[in-house]
Amino acid sequence: MDFELINSTIAAIPFVKKINSIERREFSIVGNVEILLEELGTPLTFDFQINSEYPLKSYDSESINFSNKELVSYNHVMQNGSICIHTSHSTSITEKLRIDFNALKDWIIKYVVNKDEDLNYEHIVVTESPINDTYYSFMFTECKESFYKDELGTVKLSLFNDGILRGKKNFNFFIQKFVPINGEPKNCQWNQYYNKQRAHLEGLYYYIEDAPVTNGRFAYTNWSELNLPQNLLNLLHQHEREKREKLKGRVIPLFIGYKTVGTEIHWQAALLEIGKFPIKGVPEKFNGHKTGKWNTHLVDTEIKWGLTRNSSYQYFFGRGVFSKVLTEKKILIIGVGAVGSIIAQTLTRGGCKYIDFIDHDIKEPENVCRSEYKFANGITSKTVELEKNLYEISPFLNSIKLNDNYFETLIKTFYSDTKRQKKFIDDLKPYDLIFDCSTDNDLMYVLNSLKLETDLINISITNHAKELICAFHPNIYNFVNNQFSNVLKNDVEDLYEPTGCWNPTFKASYNDINVLVQLALKHINKIISGEKAKNNFVIHEADNSLKIVEF
Amino acid sequence: MLEKSTHLEDVLKSHRMTHIEGLVSKHKSKRDEIKELLEGNYTSDIYSPFNSGSFGKHTAINIKFDLDLVIPFKRNSFDTIENMFNDVYDFLYKEYHESGIATVRKQKVSIGVLFKADEDGDAINIDVVPGRELTKDTYLEDRDLNIYFNENTWGFTKGTYTKTNIQAQIDHIKARDNERKVIRLLKIWKNTNGEKYKSFLLELLTIKAFDKATISGNDWEKLKGVMTYIKDNITKDDFTLKDPGNSNNDVVKSLDTWTRQLLSNKMGIMIQQIESNAENIKSYFPINEEFEEKEENSSSSSYGLKGSSVGPSIPSNNQRFG
Repeated sequence: MDFELINSTIAAIPFVKKINSIERREFSIVGNVEILLEELGTPLTFDFQINSEYPLKSYDSESINFSNKELVSYNHVMQNGSICIHTSHSTSITEKLRIDFNALKDWIIKYVVNKDEDLNYEHIVVTESPINDTYYSFMFTECKESFYKDELGTVKLSLFNDGILRGKKNFNFFIQKFVPINGEPKNCQWNQYYNKQRAHLEGLYYYIEDAPVTNGRFAYTNWSELNLPQNLLNLLHQHEREKREKLKGRVIPLFIGYKTVGTEIHWQAALLEIGKFPIKGVPEKFNGHKTGKWNTHLVDTEIKWGLTRNSSYQYFFGRGVFSKVLTEKKILIIGVGAVGSIIAQTLTRGGCKYIDFIDHDIKEPENVCRSEYKFANGITSKTVELEKNLYEISPFLNSIKLNDNYFETLIKTFYSDTKRQKKFIDDLKPYDLIFDCSTDNDLMYVLNSLKLETDLINISITNHAKELICAFHPNIYNFVNNQFSNVLKNDVEDLYEPTGCWNPTFKASYNDINVLVQLALKHINKIISGEKAKNNFVIHEADNSLKIVEF
Repeated sequence: MLEKSTHLEDVLKSHRMTHIEGLVSKHKSKRDEIKELLEGNYTSDIYSPFNSGSFGKHTAINIKFDLDLVIPFKRNSFDTIENMFNDVYDFLYKEYHESGIATVRKQKVSIGVLFKADEDGDAINIDVVPGRELTKDTYLEDRDLNIYFNENTWGFTKGTYTKTNIQAQIDHIKARDNERKVIRLLKIWKNTNGEKYKSFLLELLTIKAFDKATISGNDWEKLKGVMTYIKDNITKDDFTLKDPGNSNNDVVKSLDTWTRQLLSNKMGIMIQQIESNAENIKSYFPINEEFEEKEENSSSSSYGLKGSSVGPSIPSNNQRFG
């Protein structure tokens, strides 16, 4: 780094009144400056540190840092006094210095002078620490029930996979339910898959209502700051006594709950090691004499905070979902081959909550390359594997296994029986939306002939994934057949023929298929949300781009 | 190459009512039965009931048709239009519903009588539309009737009534063979595509198109002419569609701007797709395969098997993938 250039550039910044100190260190330049603005009565001083990467960013952070511990109560100041700024990219040291000092100036005006409040809720700053060289993470979601100030109880936790965090082992848990000392359990609103998992660990909770912070946003660092009530100390004592023999050394969380925005609750996890709870027994005295009873007192030590994440639906899918009209629909997918499994996975990642699927087929290793299945699961029923894969993605997806025979045998055998037709219509009525991805022309005919009260979408592709054909009930059978037979040029000669029994299939890669399916789903989402007309459509490639042709 | 006009001719042929004469006669006999019952019950309170709906207008297609029966009540028969509607409902309910012969329900402006399926599986549906003359003893001269709205529909509120002249609506389409052909085709499209547009709207649009634009040529050209007229005009602010039964009723007002735009777009897309590839006409106007008049050696309806003998181990070209 060019020390002289940095020194002279800082000195030339108009609102830098004085450079109190500046020195070169092995990998950085450190110093202290006085900033004077018209809006400030007296100058503010800031320590600064410019790291060797400067002017480039490193680990998503600026490689320059300004700090002043006395300003810790202002917004966007870390506990060590560092001001949190994110500025524009520049590869010029002089320009970048001007940008960064101006960002500091803007921060001073906005938060120190004008005392602005941010509209967005900002989570409290918690120093997450490992305990015995291991991190502990806890996911939670909303419960239907409310919590009351000073409420106490136990927490049932399930373990999912271990992770690696900052080079150390991380145990990942999710909260299943809160069980108040006197009251009914409050279940986290996960799907049935997560709700029925075995509880591996029991923690404790204390709903404190107000955030456990100093200066508005820094989590307490010591147990005494929490001001724990006597009944909680007693509960800690009782819990430790019960578990000490079998579980000594086991780490359990004490969840501290508080309100954030509106009725939303956040939980922080203070980690406790059985055998080393921050409590002690103190003999009770009366008139200077021991009564023979013991009271539990707190031993003030440092709090080790674990990691907690609010994984409720709104945050889990906060970055992007399909329209609410689609995500709330009860969906059935018939046929989960390449197209059907991609649709199922995309809808799941898009926030859909109810997806059932049906397929009689077995997943073979050769299915993996272009559908949402994994080699690791071996040969298994497609629906069983897909369900597992989708549950691993979303804790909010609900899916029910359906009878494999329904579409293959039952409906095909009795489709022309008018009385049974009514029954089939009733059977399918619970669904708001059915995707038929079976590519079964007979089933397409049968479903099309039913006067369904649910939306039915038929999706299939031509060989080489040249086109994707999407049709809506009731104009499915006629439209799709006409497209395949008379309009599109479906190549049925250049097929992939695996070794062994004659069973040719189409040629197309995951990329070929997925790009069509994603575009189709984007369009269907618009149709369902009322943004586009419900017209049958064909997607095909033209001039190196994909085109949706409506009919 | 597919000849569009010939195809449309085949489409119309395959949708003729004559193919389902047995079913039609079952409908007619049930309609006559209801007519006689109502005449017996209301005697001198009513004028002679008459047929309307697509059957009355000769625009019926065999995949979807209505047999409506209009019951013109005299002015003094009931205090209110609502009482008239409810009384007819109560009568039919008692006669058919309570005896388990049919399901009777109140509909938008009519009372639906849905008979239980017979041994052939046919469930006959007759809609009865009660209407009351506007002023005493004027019906036979002007044929005006007030009909009741049992639901919020077509821009009218439930519980209100409006003047209409069903006879004038029927007369409006009399002796208009070209228009009827196009109307039947548009109804086939509506039914094939599950479109929600009312048949009455398509009827009025077609007649207006013939009246206002130059619609000529073969069947495809006429259909295309009407579709083009709809595409170009339905979204115009000053576009109106007067109900021949009530000149104050502008039928186009029952559609909001978005729905009008949608209809215009659909017409545009259809024309474009059919002109770009004649085969696409089958996607909108399919032959009713049940009554297709097949020529010998023809396999036009056997999707995917056209013009070739297919061996057991070669997929047909309608082999879909996914």
